[in-house]
Amino acid sequence: MSQDVESKVKSIIVDKLGVDESEVTHEANFTNDLGADSLDTVELIMEFEKEFDISIPDEDAENIATVGNAVEYLQEKVS
Amino acid sequence: MADQQGYGLLKGKKGLIFGALDERSIAWRIALACKREGAEFSLSNAPVALRFGDLDELSEETGAEVFPCDVTNEDEIEELMQNVKEEHGKIDFMLHAIGMSPNVRKKQDYKELNYQWMQQTMDISAISLHKVIRYADEADILADGGSIVALSYIGAHRIFSKYSDMNDAKALLESIARNYGSRLADRGIRVNTVSQAPTRTSAGKGIKGFDGMYTFADKIAPMGNPTADECADYCVTLFSDLTRKVTMQNLYHDGGFVTSGIDEQMINDLAKIYADDEGDE
Ligand SMILES: NC(=O)c1ccc[n+]([C@@H]2O[C@H](COP(=O)([O-])OP(=O)(O)OC[C@H]3O[C@@H](n4cnc5c(N)ncnc54)[C@H](O)[C@@H]3O)[C@@H](O)[C@H]2O)c1
Repeated sequence: MSQDVESKVKSIIVDKLGVDESEVTHEANFTNDLGADSLDTVELIMEFEKEFDISIPDEDAENIATVGNAVEYLQEKVS
Repeated sequence: MADQQGYGLLKGKKGLIFGALDERSIAWRIALACKREGAEFSLSNAPVALRFGDLDELSEETGAEVFPCDVTNEDEIEELMQNVKEEHGKIDFMLHAIGMSPNVRKKQDYKELNYQWMQQTMDISAISLHKVIRYADEADILADGGSIVALSYIGAHRIFSKYSDMNDAKALLESIARNYGSRLADRGIRVNTVSQAPTRTSAGKGIKGFDGMYTFADKIAPMGNPTADECADYCVTLFSDLTRKVTMQNLYHDGGFVTSGIDEQMINDLAKIYADDEGDE
């Protein structure tokens, strides 16, 4: 299951940001490393919400800055 | 200015306004001007913009209902038009103030455009004009004698390198306005584009080199760059009954930029800037 969350998260990021899969490392920061602008980050959050059928409050969204943050947050939410 | 007293030019008119994101958005300024002139309208923007922007504030200020709609999604447009129909019956005006290029946003060079992104640019910034007119018409909500305005930019005709594939999108947008305009003319429905000068908005800021483009236009235009509020006043006249036979036009709102060459001040300034170069020769 957790593997599943991680691979889904990564494929959303690859798709939305148009980056190469190899760049989407655990530590990669959406803005600094993957070239996301503020609109991209909101779009990513909304994609996660859709994919995992959850809602992510803005306070939580603000703390999701890296691929790892997203994976960990979603794993906890979904389990 | 939005806080000036109105002329009642849009009294009794109903409309639909796309593209207000935050208070700098041209659509936001237009919504305030329409309100001032007595219109009632609905606001629409993409779901992500509703989350990201401040549209609730504008809704409160103008008493307008907000309907989410991603204009690349035909089902969502269809649903939107049904909502607007329930709210207003028919509408007399529609504003298309929508533009976005992933290639520009992600600084992809024009010679190496990502074609999937380019399709998105076209879909969001140009083809969406066709879609919203079509679905409004199919829902039978376009009132005879109404007016549709889409915002364009001089990049449709002259190349502004940093505007990349948005130059192409604006050319398509203007063509769709004419093409559809000819098909609605028998019902007195006007379709025009307003070609606005560079304006400091979030779409504007997203363009690398925007400041240079802004200053260039501002220096060339004898009146300087017009503001978003001034653009709003112009759009009000196009929505009003005072411009009933103006259709299928691209109308410049640029302080005189498009027809200007060079004036004496600039000749003198350039002479100073390049004085050293010439001395070298
Ligand atoms: N700012 C300028 O310098 C300038 C100059 C000339 C023309 N324009 C045009 O004016 C219009 C409004 O832009 P602005 O400068 O006010 O910036 P803005 O960023 O405030 O407006 C652009 C709007 O497009 C909306 N949008 C993007 N994708 C969408 C989608 N899929 N579905 C629905 N809406 C979507 C955004 O949410 C935003 O509200 C655009 O067409 C722009 O090209 C701007």
